[in-house]
Amino acid sequence: MLKDKYADRIEKIFAKYADKRSAVMSLLYLAQEEYGYVTEDACAEIAALIGTDPTQVRSIAGFYTMFREEPKGRYWLQVCTDLPCALRGADKFYEELLQELGIEDGGTTPDGMFTVEHVMCLAACDRAPMLQCNFHYHEHLDMDTMRALIAQWRAEAGVLAEAAAVGDAPAE
Amino acid sequence: MTTTVTIHIDGVPYAVPDGMNLVDAARIYAGVEIPIFCYHPKMKPVGMCRMCLVDLGFEVRDRATGELALNPDGTPQVRWGRKLETGCTTTVRAGMYVRTRTEQVQEARRDVLEFLLSSHPLDCPVCDKGGECPLQNLTMRHGPGTSRMAYDDKLHLDKHVPLGDLIYLDRERCIQCARCVRFQDEVVGDDVLAFHERGRRLQIITTSTPGFDTYFSGNTTDICPVGALTTADFRFGARPWELTNVPSISPHGPVGENIALSMRLDRDSGGVQVIKRVIPRQNEDVNEIWISDKTRFGHHFTLSPDRLREALARKRGELTPVALDDALKAAAKALKEAGNSVGFIGGPMTSNEDFFALRELAAHVGSRKLGLWPATLGDAAPAAEVGIASGSRLTELGKGDAVLVVASDLEEEAPIWFLQAKQAADRGAALIVANLRETKLDRYASRTVRYGLGGAVGFLDGAASDETLAQAANLVVFVGNEGLGADEHGVLLRAAANLLITTGHAGRRNNGLIPVWPGANTQGGFDLGFESAATRAMLQSAPDVLIVVGADVAETPAGAAALDAAKFVIALSLFPDATTAKADVVLPIQSFAERDGTFTNAMRRVQRFYTAQGPVGESLPAWQVIGLLGQRLGMDRPRRSAALVMKALAESVKLYAGMSYPALAEAAVQTPPIGISPGFYGGTAAAPTGGTGLQWPSKAESRAKLSVTPVEAPQAVHAGAGELVIVPLRRLYDRAPEFFASAVMHGRIPQPFVALHPSDAARLGAVDGGRVKLSAGGASLDVTAVVDATAPEGLALLPQRLAPGAFPQEPVAGRVEPVAEAVAAD
Repeated sequence: MLKDKYADRIEKIFAKYADKRSAVMSLLYLAQEEYGYVTEDACAEIAALIGTDPTQVRSIAGFYTMFREEPKGRYWLQVCTDLPCALRGADKFYEELLQELGIEDGGTTPDGMFTVEHVMCLAACDRAPMLQCNFHYHEHLDMDTMRALIAQWRAEAGVLAEAAAVGDAPAE
Repeated sequence: MTTTVTIHIDGVPYAVPDGMNLVDAARIYAGVEIPIFCYHPKMKPVGMCRMCLVDLGFEVRDRATGELALNPDGTPQVRWGRKLETGCTTTVRAGMYVRTRTEQVQEARRDVLEFLLSSHPLDCPVCDKGGECPLQNLTMRHGPGTSRMAYDDKLHLDKHVPLGDLIYLDRERCIQCARCVRFQDEVVGDDVLAFHERGRRLQIITTSTPGFDTYFSGNTTDICPVGALTTADFRFGARPWELTNVPSISPHGPVGENIALSMRLDRDSGGVQVIKRVIPRQNEDVNEIWISDKTRFGHHFTLSPDRLREALARKRGELTPVALDDALKAAAKALKEAGNSVGFIGGPMTSNEDFFALRELAAHVGSRKLGLWPATLGDAAPAAEVGIASGSRLTELGKGDAVLVVASDLEEEAPIWFLQAKQAADRGAALIVANLRETKLDRYASRTVRYGLGGAVGFLDGAASDETLAQAANLVVFVGNEGLGADEHGVLLRAAANLLITTGHAGRRNNGLIPVWPGANTQGGFDLGFESAATRAMLQSAPDVLIVVGADVAETPAGAAALDAAKFVIALSLFPDATTAKADVVLPIQSFAERDGTFTNAMRRVQRFYTAQGPVGESLPAWQVIGLLGQRLGMDRPRRSAALVMKALAESVKLYAGMSYPALAEAAVQTPPIGISPGFYGGTAAAPTGGTGLQWPSKAESRAKLSVTPVEAPQAVHAGAGELVIVPLRRLYDRAPEFFASAVMHGRIPQPFVALHPSDAARLGAVDGGRVKLSAGGASLDVTAVVDATAPEGLALLPQRLAPGAFPQEPVAGRVEPVAEAVAAD
């Protein structure tokens, strides 16, 4: 339960708003961080916390694309392929990235590491090709830098997995 | 008072109320139809569908002088907006100019429709809404003839999504107007519907538990401007153009919801007229355009195979089918022998005509035993004195007003009044809910009062000193009988009258008492001289002959005993039940759908219902059966029509003077007109054809001198050692045959249960979900225990008419014992 595990953070979130219902977005981020995506139970938990109906929470999670409603990979890569980025080769880059990872548009790698999807403008046209990974930007990409990043993430994940195995996960 | 302003629509000046919604003003005052999908006059405008785009301008005034700027030709200069604006989110004000027919406006409408249709399925030929569909109608009127959208690009979505037991969603047909979402949020206050995703993928969802299951869910299918929401009952049931809408009145509950029965000659039902659906009929004084799901889906009893089809008489101890004449002969013989020792008991669906026929028969035999069922009610005199004034509208209550609800769970007993009380609170009225337990209306109350058993009178008696109530501009008091004995109910009604008189809220419009009676025509029974108290007297000492009309008297132990004690029982009934089983003669009567008649609702409005379907078996209207019986006792032959019965009634009952059928058939103008025949606002509510009824004025309105009668609460029921007080509750969905015949509702009717406070349950050893035996007054029931923290300690809350078997209908001290579950033997 979020309420028990993150009592302090929830209290801090509520302190920021005059009306508890206004905290719904912050709580959705918290739930996503905890469960990897916005689960059905999380909606019910949040609804109970802010005093609304679970359907209303689900509706908000559904409206915003930054909330995941299904399990996704550990690294969620969103590549902008809008017109200005495409002019700088983003569409070609995107195709190559999919090929590199061996998945389809919107797919997840079998090891659960990467989910790749194309998105509309991320407001970094001048630095395209670019992508957003778990809400962090990576810009001026080509396949070489991308391969390096992928290797780096895989290594990181390995470290995390090992740490988790011995019960000593580093703080994110 | 609102002031009137002049606006110009398409060049013509109109005087309209300042601040009115532009769409409504154009429709009502100018007869100009600004097309709409999402806008609905019963809900706040949102401007979502963009269909109501109009060209908006304002007259130009010189800033310095405030003078109107004129064109060279002397006409006022108008500054038009650079873009079109949505009419539904615009309120009219002085100097406004509106153009609704320019090329630009027409193009906008065409484009909006083209977008709406870009992914709309072409299944109109099998769609329930086809024929009465706003999307079809407006497309014909304003839309493009063809689409530029490639057919292959249409989105295909789920077409059979159950949103609950009763409502199905077709995602393809939905045009995202959010009428259903807003209805649940604004009107009902239960936001279990919402949008998910956005853009082209925007969809209606519910992820709540339980899902979409309010008592009002069917109304969303009425206001849906397309065929996206359909009921499990009517889905694929008929095409709208095959249906004839017959005006009627809901036979369920005291609100008297105006309805229309959509009839069709139905092959599958043997080629007879059947009710295919029930839709609301607009009456702003009663139910606006809303009906409860009980009214909408609870019509199947009219053609139930369980109905009584022939007369029965006892032969050698057994009830045997006999010819109607023989049954009447046997009944008349018993009546002749009984002299004036004859008692009459009328039930909740008995019409005014039936009550009047009973009254005439009673006068003929010299009996004054006119009883009303149930036997648990106080008297109606307080309501006749200070009942809500005629012409009152609950929809007008708002800021500065107060609504007081005492001893009633309005959602269960009168769902439409629940909506109206809740909405009055939303508009700013003080809502005070007083009961011995928590009810759903508490959520919207500005104050809740919790009293103990026997405490209702004390609370109401002291309420006159309450500032909110005393200072309210208008005050409406709902009084029910939950947790009250019959005497206490009478005293409570009197205490409510006292409150209204002392605080100066009697005899004025939008003020007064509304008794939450149990039946559709309980008020009519009282008006015609039938009393619940008379029934109690008959249960004490039974007359020789008992004539029971549409009342299951045997549902209480005292009633069953009285039927046994009477020498001869004549039962007029729709269904065989525990009462007919004890009767000597059983005569089948017609339901509200088979005959003409009138019901008087608890706001004293007399309303007509009309013949819609053919009779079932040999059944006759109750007034006619009673008339035939009277004829055998030397009375004139029965009148030839219900209209003539009503004519005689109106001549002999002062309250009903002038209430002839033609007068009752007159329809008051409805503003705004939402019903089908104007058709403008879309949706399937019927126009008020058939009449909106007439209300008789309370005594207070005639400036009669009103006096306060001091009240004293009677002794409350006391539970002995090891006992609880078993309090019967009225629930909307029960197992009475008039409702249980609707199989579509079975999933919504709870299993027989009793609610216990956790500490009582623990003390008695009852577990949640376990079986318990209730025993009181020589009767016992086997039900499931529900441990409920909101149940008051020391009380066992028992919903009525769920478990088979007789049980007292007033609070009674009794035992609650766990039943050892039988262990299955191998």
